[in-house]
Amino acid sequence: MSEKPKVGVYVCHCGINIASTVDVEEIASFARDLPNVEVARTYSYMCSDPGQNLIKEDIREHGLNRVIVASCSPRMHEPTFRKTIQEAGVNPYFLEMANIREQCSWVHDDLEVATPKAKKLVAASVAKVRLLEALEETEVDAEPATLVIGAGIAGIQAALDIADAGFKVYLVEKTPSVGGRMAQLDKTFPTLDCSACILTPKMVDCAGHPNIELMTYSEVEEIGGYIGNFDVKVRKKARYVDFDKCTGCGDCANECRVKDRFPNEFDQGMGKRSAVYLPFPQAVPAKYTIDPEQCLYLTKGKCGKAPKCQEVCGVGAIDFEQEDEFVEFKVGAVIVATGFDPFDPSKKPEYGYDDYPNVITGMEMERLVSASGPTGGKITINNGEEEIEPKEVAFIKCVGSRDESVGNEYCSRVCCMYTAKQAHLVREKLPDANIRIYYMDVRAFGKGYEEFYDRVRRENVRYIRGNPSEIFKRGNKLVVKAENTLTSTPVEDEVDLVVLGVGMEPRKEMRDIMDLLRLSQSQDRFFLEAHPKLAPVDTATDGVFLAGCCQGPKDIPDTVAQAKGAASSAMIPLARGKVTISAQVAEVNEATCRGCGFCVEICPYSAIEMVTVNRFGYEIEVARVNEALCKGCGSCSAACLSDSIQPKSFRDWQILPQIAALGAMK
Amino acid sequence: MDLDKLRKTAAEVVAREDVRYLLGWKKGTFGYRIAPGFVEDAESAAELIFSPLCTANLATYLTLTEKPPLPRGQEPDDRKVAVMVKGCDSRAVTQLLIEKGIERESVVIIGCPCPGVVDHELLAEKYPETEETAELKWSDKGFLLLQNGEETEIARDELLAEKCRLCRYPNPVVSDIMVGEPVETWEPDDDQGVAEVEGKNAEVRWEYWQEQFSNCLRCYSCRNVCPLCYCEDCILDRLNPTWIYRSVNFSENTAFNLARAFHLAGRCIECGECERVCPANIPLGKLNRKLAREVREKYGFEPGVDPEAEPFQASYKPDDPEEFIL
Repeated sequence: MSEKPKVGVYVCHCGINIASTVDVEEIASFARDLPNVEVARTYSYMCSDPGQNLIKEDIREHGLNRVIVASCSPRMHEPTFRKTIQEAGVNPYFLEMANIREQCSWVHDDLEVATPKAKKLVAASVAKVRLLEALEETEVDAEPATLVIGAGIAGIQAALDIADAGFKVYLVEKTPSVGGRMAQLDKTFPTLDCSACILTPKMVDCAGHPNIELMTYSEVEEIGGYIGNFDVKVRKKARYVDFDKCTGCGDCANECRVKDRFPNEFDQGMGKRSAVYLPFPQAVPAKYTIDPEQCLYLTKGKCGKAPKCQEVCGVGAIDFEQEDEFVEFKVGAVIVATGFDPFDPSKKPEYGYDDYPNVITGMEMERLVSASGPTGGKITINNGEEEIEPKEVAFIKCVGSRDESVGNEYCSRVCCMYTAKQAHLVREKLPDANIRIYYMDVRAFGKGYEEFYDRVRRENVRYIRGNPSEIFKRGNKLVVKAENTLTSTPVEDEVDLVVLGVGMEPRKEMRDIMDLLRLSQSQDRFFLEAHPKLAPVDTATDGVFLAGCCQGPKDIPDTVAQAKGAASSAMIPLARGKVTISAQVAEVNEATCRGCGFCVEICPYSAIEMVTVNRFGYEIEVARVNEALCKGCGSCSAACLSDSIQPKSFRDWQILPQIAALGAMK
Repeated sequence: MDLDKLRKTAAEVVAREDVRYLLGWKKGTFGYRIAPGFVEDAESAAELIFSPLCTANLATYLTLTEKPPLPRGQEPDDRKVAVMVKGCDSRAVTQLLIEKGIERESVVIIGCPCPGVVDHELLAEKYPETEETAELKWSDKGFLLLQNGEETEIARDELLAEKCRLCRYPNPVVSDIMVGEPVETWEPDDDQGVAEVEGKNAEVRWEYWQEQFSNCLRCYSCRNVCPLCYCEDCILDRLNPTWIYRSVNFSENTAFNLARAFHLAGRCIECGECERVCPANIPLGKLNRKLAREVREKYGFEPGVDPEAEPFQASYKPDDPEEFIL
C-alpha cells in the first residue's frame, strides 16, 4: 500500500432507527480519534442525496481514500455507497460498512449498551478498512437468448414476452405437447372463460413464433456457465415418429394393436389412449409420439407380422430406428417454469381415494366436466356397482394443504376457488343435485373472487364448516363423516360422489433441476426465490429466474404475472448485452493448495474447478476459481484446511485485525 | 502370520518395474524397537517382519516423499510406492484417496489383517527391554514373547493397545494384495474410551484438559507422525496471520491441540499414532475419538472406509436439518 490511508467515517441517524438508541454524535467524536481517521460526521439519512454528497465533498476536500459508513446492513446499502465513492474517484471496494442498525440499534433498547457497542463496531471497521485491496470489476458479453424450462402457461407466457421483444428463446418441454396443467382445466375462475379457449392461441403462437425454438418431449441434461453465458445441453427424446413427416392425422393411433389400452395422462387416467398417441386434440405440436414402454414393437420386438401404424401411415413417418438426439446451445438467462404436482390423496387414506371409484380429485373433476374429457362433459360416475348420475355431491377442501400431518403447512391458494367453480359447474349440469362443500376457511382473495364465491353460495351450494374425518361405504352410498363446527353437531352425509380439493406439491423431479442449476428449496420445498418481497422471481444463481408454481402455489393470473416478471428480469442482461462480474470473489493460493478438492465439492455455485499446474517439474492439481460464477460467499474458505482459498476483502489478514479491534476494547 | 509368504510377496512387488520402493516394517536395533523399512530390491525384502510390535502407521510416509525441484527436461519418477498396511493404516490410505492426497494408481497396497498390536509402554513396563532385539508373535492366547532365548506366553488383554481394543476395522478396507487370512473382528466398547471424561461436568473436564495441554511441549510429533496432517505449509506455522503463537503456554497449547483436533474431525482414522508418539502422554486419542464419534452419529460419516465417499468437510447440503446447530 503506497498511499497513507485517509479514512472518513460517516455515522447515519437513519431517522430515529439508529439515533434513538445510539448516541451518534458520540460515535463520530470517538471515531475522530481513531488512527488514520481524517474526518467523521453524522447525518440524518446518509443514503439520501445530500448524505452521499457529504461523502463526495469530503473525498475531494480531504483527499479521503477509505470510507466507512456506519449505518445499516451491507446487504441494504453497500452497493449505494460503493457507487458514491466511485463517483468521487475512489475504488468502490475501499468501502466498509459498520452495521450499527440491524446488529446494534435494532437489537438493543438501552443507549448505555448500544453506544459502546457501536463504538466497537466502528473501531473494528477502521482496523479493517486500512487493509482493503483495490478491486476491479470486469464485464463480459451476454448471449442474447433465453432458455425456458417447462411449457405450461408460465413458460409459454415468459417465452412469448421475450420472443416478442426480439430475443431468441429455447422453450424446452418434457411432455410431447405444450400447455401444461392449464390445458387440462375446463373453465377458469372467476370469469368462467374456457381454459382451452384462452390458452390454445398462446400455445399455437409459441410454436409458430420465429424467435422461439420449441423443443417438446425434451429434457435439459446439463447446464454449465454463468449469467450471460450458460452452456445448455438438451436431450430430445426419440418420438419414433418423424417430426417433419407426421401430419397428425391419427391413423396410426386408430390402427394400433393396443388401441385405447393405456390410461391417458391428460385425462388423469380416466380416459384411454393407444401406445402411439397425441396427448389431447389441441396438442401443440400436433405430432404423434410412440410410448416406448407400451409399444409392442419397442417392448417385445414384434407387433403382429408388421407394426400396423407403419402400414397405415400414408407419409411413412413411423421410424422405430429413431434415437435420442442431443442439442447444445448458449443462452444468457434461464427461466425455470417447471410447475407443480397435484397432491396425491393416497397419503390421506381416511378419504378412501384408493378404495372407492367415486372419490376423485379436483383435477379428475376438471376432466369429468370438460367437453373434451372422457365423458364428453357429462357428469357420470361409477359408484362401484353401476354408472350413475350423482344426486349428492360432496367437495372436501384443503386436502393435502394446510395439513402438517402430510408435511404441507402452506395454503395451495387455488382449491377454494376451483372447488367453488366446480360446484357451480355441477349445479349447471345437475340442477337438482345436492351439493355440499366441507371447508376450514374460505379464502377468496383475488379480483372478483369474493363475488364469485357469493354467487356460488346463492346457487344453493351448502358450505359446511368442518374437515371430514372419514369417508366410508354404506350400501351403494359413500358416507362423509364430519363435525359441523359452526353448530357443533356431528354429521354423516350419504353421497354419490366425493371430490377432493387437492392442493399443489413441488414436482417430484425438481431435485434434478436443483442439481442442474444449484437452486435451493424454501421451507415448503418449492424453489427458493432470492428475496420473498424484493426479488420474488430471482434466485441465488444470477441469471436464473423462477416463474409459476415451481416457486409456490399460484392461480393463473399470478402465474402469468410472475412469468411476465421473470421474462423482463431475464431480458435485462440480454438487452444490455453485457454482464458485470463482481470483483469480490475467492482467490486460490496455488503455492499452498494441496489439491484435495473440498472447495470444489462444497461450492454452492460450482465456481471452482481443479486444474493441473506444473510445480517445479511435477504435475499437480490445484483449485481455480471461475470469477464469473463466484459469489464470494466464503464456503470454500471454511472448508479449506490449509487456508489456501479466501474471498478477497475477507482474507484472514483483513478480518483478524478487525476481530482484534473488537476484542481490544472494554 | 506367515513371514515367508510376506517376504516373498514383498520381493515380487519390489521386483516389478513400475514399483519404486516398498514401505514395510523391520526389526530395530535393540529390544522391542521396530524401524520403518524402505525396501528397494528383492533381497532386502528378507528383512521385513509383521508382528504385534508393528504399531507404526506407514501410510504417513506416502505423503512425505520429497519432491525437490526437477532440472528442466527431467521427468518426475512416476513409479508406484508399495505400502504394507494394517486395518487402521488402510483407512489412512483410503482417507488419503478420498481427499486426493494420493492417487490410487500411485500406490500398491499390501494388506495385513491385524489381530491387534501391543502398547509399547505397557510391554516395556511389564517385561523390561534388553539390548538384544526381541521378537513378539501372535499366539492363541494373545502374544508370545521371545527374548534372550526364553519364551513367555502373555494374555491378549494384558498388552493390547487401547486403540486396538476399540478397533472396528482390523482387516484392511482396501488392498491390492492381501497377505494372510482375514482375522475375526471383535466388538469394541461403545463409548470409544471417552465416556469417563464425557460424563464429567464442564468444569472438571476443563481442569482435566488444562492439565493435559499444560504438559504439551509443542514438539509437533503428533502432527508429524499423523498420516493425515500433510499440508506442505501448515497454517499453524504461518506468521501472517499468526493463528497460534510459538510461546509454550496453556493458551497457545490449547489452541494448537484443538485446532489440530478440528482439522481432523471427519478425517481421523483412529490409528493412535499421535498418542503413541506424544512425549507428554497427552491422551490425544480421546479427543480424536470423541470427534470421530460425533461425526459418525450426527452426520453418518466414517472417514477412511469408502474411497468413493464424498469428503465430510466438503459435504454441505442446503437441506441439512442442522438439528444440533443453534
